Amino acid sequence: MNLVPKKRLDIFVEQHGLAAVEDMLGKSGFKGWSVFQGIEGAGAHGMWRQTGVGEQAALLIVAIGNEDSAQAALVWLEQYFKTYSGVATLADVSVMRPERF
Amino acid sequence: MIESGLSAAIVNLASPAILFFALGAIAGALRSDLTIPDQAAKTLALYLMLSIGFKGGVEAHAAGFTTELVATGALGVLFSFTTPFVAFFVLRHVCKLERITAAATAAHYGSVSLVTFAAGAEYLRSMDVAFSGHMAAVLALMETPAILAALLVVGERSQPENGQYRAGLWREVLLNGAAVLLVGAFVVGLITGERGANQLSGFVSGPLFQGALCLFLLDMGLLASRRLAQNSQLNVASFAFAILWPVCAGGAGALAASSLGLSIGDATLFAVLTASASYIAVPAAMRVALPKADAGVSLPMALGVTFPFNLIVGIPLYHALCSALGGFL
Repeated sequence: MNLVPKKRLDIFVEQHGLAAVEDMLGKSGFKGWSVFQGIEGAGAHGMWRQTGVGEQAALLIVAIGNEDSAQAALVWLEQYFKTYSGVATLADVSVMRPERF
Repeated sequence: MIESGLSAAIVNLASPAILFFALGAIAGALRSDLTIPDQAAKTLALYLMLSIGFKGGVEAHAAGFTTELVATGALGVLFSFTTPFVAFFVLRHVCKLERITAAATAAHYGSVSLVTFAAGAEYLRSMDVAFSGHMAAVLALMETPAILAALLVVGERSQPENGQYRAGLWREVLLNGAAVLLVGAFVVGLITGERGANQLSGFVSGPLFQGALCLFLLDMGLLASRRLAQNSQLNVASFAFAILWPVCAGGAGALAASSLGLSIGDATLFAVLTASASYIAVPAAMRVALPKADAGVSLPMALGVTFPFNLIVGIPLYHALCSALGGFL
């Protein structure tokens, strides 16, 4: 089996940050990403809950790409998180079909 | 007057909508697994906005563009814009909230709650008290100025600086789904008038509307009690503010509306609007505009304390007040 090492970036942001983060990911060189809606839990600002009246849980954006793309994204996110809520994690992963990343 | 006020309060407490709210609150407090799926709740909220906006537009079409509508709208904008300054002062210096959180909370209290308005309108219908459809337009007008007032209170330095934020904020303030649907439905009602009302009569009013309101309030009861149970950040002063502020703001609204010569029904709805606090449009806007504000304070106050208070005690109280003022002014 052909597995190739890549970087996986997990970004938790509020709903209103989605457009800006997606725009940044494209500019950073990521070929694609996945968005998971309604991530509930708890953090520095208390409970994250998805309800029917404007309380929107966090989004999880998962992007897999190369080291340069991940570093460019992290530089941008460092600035973004000075203003808005959220966290990001970076992990080493092995991927199949590496031409897709 | 006291007797009629008490009987009105009892009628209000015994209405299905309030009892379903109480059921939700009790179920939430007892940690029942009862939930309304959030997509269903969102659909119900959209349905209520569409119905209220459309019915208001139809009635405004029948009544025409009156000076009373303009005057009430202007009064609503004035209240929405000015009350956050007063609320900020109290929240900052009496409740001892941090500056940005105080400003965000003040915006919640300057803006309005559509569901409280809907409950107030249903209460007036149950009491056979007439009110104007154009009050739905006043509701829409009162949503936004409070947000702008809160931004003025904190000043430029406390707001994010990038251009993307500005675009996001204005989109959130002016184009949030609630405002677009409410105003849009009002315009549709205004254009289509009686013809449109006949086509949608079974959809936007009657048992279907009542049932949807009950189901939505059941969810609100669940949310309010869970929000309150989850939150330990509310101090005594904040809790007191969440009850005393609506009484003061509602009283001021009742006095201003009665002085303007509005009918008892319209004045009551105006008082309900001034007493209510937003928990849909404003929290979303504040997440963009004042991200450092602690939503763990403002939302439990607006949703967990003020909303139930207005629903159970406030609405009949403002009605009694407007009835009394109507006799004097």
